[in-house]
Amino acid sequence: MTTEVLPEAAIRNERLRLRLKSIRSFWRRFAARPDGVIGVVVLIFFSILAIAPGFFVGPLQTVITATGLPLDPPSTAHWLGTDELGRDILNLTVHGTRISMFIGLLATVITILLGAMIGIVSGYVGGRTDTFLMRVTDFFLVLPTFVLALILAPIILDIVGAGSEVFGIRVTLIVIVIVIGITSWASTARIIRSQTLSVKERAFVGRARVIGSGGGHIMWRHILPNTMNLIVANTVLVFGGAILTETTLSFIGLGDPFAPSWGEILNAAESAGAMGLGAWWYVVPPSVCIVLVVLAFTLVGSALDDVLNPRLRVRR
Amino acid sequence: MTDPMTDPVLDAQAIIRGRRAWPLPKQADPNAPLLVVEHLTTRFKMAGGSIKAVDDVSFTLNDGEALGIAGESGCGKTTTALSLVRLLPANGRIGKDSSVKLFGIDLAKKSEDALRRYRWREISIIFQGAMNALNPVRRINEQIAEPIELRLKADKADALKRAGELLELVGIPARRGQAYPHELSGGMRQRAMIAMALACDPAVVIGDEPTTALDVMVQAQILELLERLRRELGLSLILITHDLSVIAETCDRVMVMYAGKVAEEGAVSVIFTTPRHPYTQKLIGAFPNIHADRRTLDVIPGSPPDLREPPPGCRFHPRCPFAMAVCSVEVPPEVTFADGVRVACHLYPPGSDGLPITEPTKDALVQPADSAGPGLGAGVFGDEEFALELRGETVEPESAEHTFSPSHGLTDDRSLDDFK
Repeated sequence: MTTEVLPEAAIRNERLRLRLKSIRSFWRRFAARPDGVIGVVVLIFFSILAIAPGFFVGPLQTVITATGLPLDPPSTAHWLGTDELGRDILNLTVHGTRISMFIGLLATVITILLGAMIGIVSGYVGGRTDTFLMRVTDFFLVLPTFVLALILAPIILDIVGAGSEVFGIRVTLIVIVIVIGITSWASTARIIRSQTLSVKERAFVGRARVIGSGGGHIMWRHILPNTMNLIVANTVLVFGGAILTETTLSFIGLGDPFAPSWGEILNAAESAGAMGLGAWWYVVPPSVCIVLVVLAFTLVGSALDDVLNPRLRVRR
Repeated sequence: MTDPMTDPVLDAQAIIRGRRAWPLPKQADPNAPLLVVEHLTTRFKMAGGSIKAVDDVSFTLNDGEALGIAGESGCGKTTTALSLVRLLPANGRIGKDSSVKLFGIDLAKKSEDALRRYRWREISIIFQGAMNALNPVRRINEQIAEPIELRLKADKADALKRAGELLELVGIPARRGQAYPHELSGGMRQRAMIAMALACDPAVVIGDEPTTALDVMVQAQILELLERLRRELGLSLILITHDLSVIAETCDRVMVMYAGKVAEEGAVSVIFTTPRHPYTQKLIGAFPNIHADRRTLDVIPGSPPDLREPPPGCRFHPRCPFAMAVCSVEVPPEVTFADGVRVACHLYPPGSDGLPITEPTKDALVQPADSAGPGLGAGVFGDEEFALELRGETVEPESAEHTFSPSHGLTDDRSLDDFK
């Protein structure tokens, strides 16, 4: 059993061992939070729907390919009934998952990138840069999302041309993503900045400076990894919020009618007077989906915050 | 002393510089001593004026030598060391007359940018509190590799390989480098800090209380490691500590500081057995003697002065048992004795060469010790001892017969070994 192990191999083995160990310990701690686990299960379910909606309900139904009668209540043919055009609600809702999740994801990426970058730079550089960036942040913090959306949407659509595509995504969706992104990064930036302020006073940052690291290196290699727990937990929460904002914007008519997100379905239901006609099956499915997904994100987010933040960790 | 070939200091210098991983900096004078600090003054600008944290401090560090800086908290030990590479808080300034000559290159005159080349590459630091000085979310070997990548422009794979070698050198298996700081013990973290300080093969390593907050066993291991590294790598070390036993064990020379000034400086074997400055005597008297009958330790009454308004004259005079009228008026000049010890105290006026003046104002506290000072083998003592240590030979400390004993018994008859 005394085979000569090359030091490189030993180092690799050790790395693998430690990584597995930390993943196991993370999972153990996460599994101790049933709410977080339920959230993850719900999110996995909706993610699968979002990845392959066609596999479950066939291609997206349009006016032409509608399969049922207008506003047909739930039946064996249409489990969740139909809309005013005879489209299957289940079909629409499942396809809506993809749009809603996709917009949420893009908006979250923008929010986190902007928020983390501005937060870290502002906190680390300090001085006038900090003052300036924080005043800008304050401005975006108080900016009302809907007013901004109502102004930005027509401007951007006018410049780019409605119906055109950017990277294969319809411009209307891009507008929603941008609006959500620029209205929600501010709070992330504040959170990350506060963490940066505390991390940059720690001795290892001073040590890194002595070694000769520049500001960029310190922010990227030392500050960012130390704010990662906040970034991860914040990402999850922002994701849920982004989906909610997307729904609201679509509901008030800023969405893309050709890409039925959940908000878009609710908007159509409202135009069709679904509630007045007693067509609850038109309103309930997208609403339940929104509530489930947002709730799941919140549950996972708070569980992650607990698990990743050593200060909140309860010793068992 | 005149023939360079037989001078032990120059010998050590040639050997150690010959072993350097890369040539000396371009502007370096190959014959200059390793580090010569002269008139170093560091001020901190505060709301209510400025504080002279380090006031006119001079010292020399030769190749392969270990210099201990001792003193109470807040007496300027760390500031002195950090001033060498100007690692000061934003409000810290180094005086115009200060010079810090490394290989004859004056670092105090260098611009911030030019100085960066010397930081860590020529002068590195073992920080106190390894847990805080290590980034908790990055692996140990990556952190050790960082200065190698940044300062030596090595690529990542080479730097990590070297980090592994450094870890082995300080007694940590290379594979443990994959661990995060919290997965290592306190002693291992301190070893990792030492490995990091050695990363660029620096000319001078500053140990800023490297053994503080470690338990005694681990402390002994770390000191042993430093000893071994000095022997094997010819490390030149500045060790900052308030723990006299650490200095007794590791250092060749000791510089005792008080309130930003040098009180006494000289060979460890001399200062620990025949302390001349009253502060040094008190400091050594405050060290527990396991061989003595006394149950209580000497204490130094009072506390270090407020540096915003240091006492006039000698800064130690308010707490000094031998204070005379002149002490509160004039700053004592530094007097160098034949045995190489430098003392700044009015008990030893210039020219007295080791004989304390006999008439202190307070109730005859000083007994003129007839054998003090000049009796020690003239001049070469410090140098020779240092050179012997370099070759790994131990030097028997001078016996206590030269002890300058004030009448109320500040120091018992102790040898250097009692402090270890």
